[in-house]
Amino acid sequence: MTQTTPAGYSVPCTKATSKVITVDHHRAPRVLRAGRRALSILSAAWLVASSGFARAEESADSSNPLPIEIHAFVSQGFIKTTSNNYLAEESTHGSFEFSEVGINFSKQLTDRMRVGMQLFTHDLGPLGNYRTRFDWFYLDYRFWDFLGVRIGRTKLPFGLYNETSDVDAARVPILLPQSVYPVSNRDFLLAQTGGEAYGFLPLGDAGGLEYRLYGGAIFYDTADATSTLSNVRGPYIYGARLMWQSPIEGLQLGASAQRLRLDGDAAFSADQIAQLQMAGQLPSGFSGPVKFQIPATLAVASIEYSAHDLLLASEYSRWWDSLNTSVPSFAVPQTVSGRFYLMSAYHVTPWFTPGVYYSLLFENLADRKGKNPPYGSVPGAAPLGRGAYQHDLALTVRYDLNAFWLLKLEGHYMHGTAGLSRELNGNQPLSSLTEDWGVFLVKTTAYF
Amino acid sequence: MLLWSLLGLATFAGRATHAESVPPFRILIHPENPLASLNKDFVIDVFLKRTTRWHDGETAHPVDQRADAAVRQSFSDNVLRRSVSAIKRYWQQRIFSGRDLPPPELDGDEAVVGYVLKHRGAIGYVSSSAKIGRAKAVPVQ
Repeated sequence: MTQTTPAGYSVPCTKATSKVITVDHHRAPRVLRAGRRALSILSAAWLVASSGFARAEESADSSNPLPIEIHAFVSQGFIKTTSNNYLAEESTHGSFEFSEVGINFSKQLTDRMRVGMQLFTHDLGPLGNYRTRFDWFYLDYRFWDFLGVRIGRTKLPFGLYNETSDVDAARVPILLPQSVYPVSNRDFLLAQTGGEAYGFLPLGDAGGLEYRLYGGAIFYDTADATSTLSNVRGPYIYGARLMWQSPIEGLQLGASAQRLRLDGDAAFSADQIAQLQMAGQLPSGFSGPVKFQIPATLAVASIEYSAHDLLLASEYSRWWDSLNTSVPSFAVPQTVSGRFYLMSAYHVTPWFTPGVYYSLLFENLADRKGKNPPYGSVPGAAPLGRGAYQHDLALTVRYDLNAFWLLKLEGHYMHGTAGLSRELNGNQPLSSLTEDWGVFLVKTTAYF
Repeated sequence: MLLWSLLGLATFAGRATHAESVPPFRILIHPENPLASLNKDFVIDVFLKRTTRWHDGETAHPVDQRADAAVRQSFSDNVLRRSVSAIKRYWQQRIFSGRDLPPPELDGDEAVVGYVLKHRGAIGYVSSSAKIGRAKAVPVQ
């Protein structure tokens, strides 16, 4: 089976390791958190407003084609589930732990060279907690249209929307299809530190080809880790994306693939060691952390039609991953998950855009119905059942209240519990959570 | 889902037919730009910044008008084949992923004409009735 790491990356995990890889949120008292949130949002709003003045001053000089560009966004969301905690700890009661703030600065130094950086802070359930970080920063040099290079911390071009998965203003749904773009994976799969080569090649009557190649490392913010995990890092990640802009205006097709590895140490409490030794999963006399490695390969095929007011998009993805550990009984052989969605949106008016998607996730394509127990379970354990799949039918309406402010409402009908966090649900097995459930979200974003 | 898509396609088809009428805008380039006409795909690539140079190597400087300008909507529908909202979303994606920056948005035809005359690599659009001075209006094929 797969489990969810503290940052939400779906990784193979035995029942035993799932006990020790638990979330210790280190959360401040609720009142303090609410105050901190209010302060953060107010600070961000002030930042947005003051930056807006700065930007206005820049753009007033329209004769300068190379100004400093400043853009920012502030989002606040609310999430409520009918049952099962999802993304936030208390989503069944309704949670406001769904906020994002970002500001970026870009400067075209010459016709070919550009620099930029974005500061980002967010709160999503146990993740983020308003720690500010560099979301991306880069030096970009475009030799020709068919070849440019970018070095620094850059977003990962995986599929159609991974790069913009945290940019609410750039899409219709509040949550992108979580089968392909799980929001809890943000810290692992949104950006890498290294280099990238990119280009665009016009093909005449055959359209055009956009390509990107990248490689580097993943730096994981250990503040998001649990008390039992340490030294979490991604020593390497590399991949490519190829998108063909077809001669049919608005139609593009493409494929992306990436290979990465996550390493780390999992520590054990004395009680956990005793339990695991009794279960025969740790040798007697064990001490010290368990070192783990999670090699993974991700691939996705994409198609998007975006013309005039209509958007149609679909993607199919497979992720291959396994768990190697210094304690052989925790190791999990390679599993292959299957992920798919079909999405549509239509601009009825410039201020009103409804959208709909259907998303499907199978955590293990070899066991789509969860007939087998999770890997590493004790003999006779219950099968994974509803924890093996997730069907998600989502409806969204987006209101653009003005050019800088939007409001979205969204409802999901969910069938299955794959992708849910056990830690957010009292460490209950996914097979025991409610199979048919709903998610309702409201989100507002100010941006420029 | 199917009904939704069909509804969208039907409305799209209706708009596409409407868009075949004579475009109420002119595309302008600098008077020293040697081109006498422009390929439509090239214009799209320049305004989406997939192409950044003219054929002679000069850096292209596309310039937009405000999102609520009628001429912007007409240009977007007829040339870019996407609504202004969709184009804005395209740029939001690129801005916040650090990929690129949108063309500057200027207030009205006069500002666009001034910009085009000032920058040799500029390309912009104005309403059909605008006074374009020395700027060169070129057809798009």
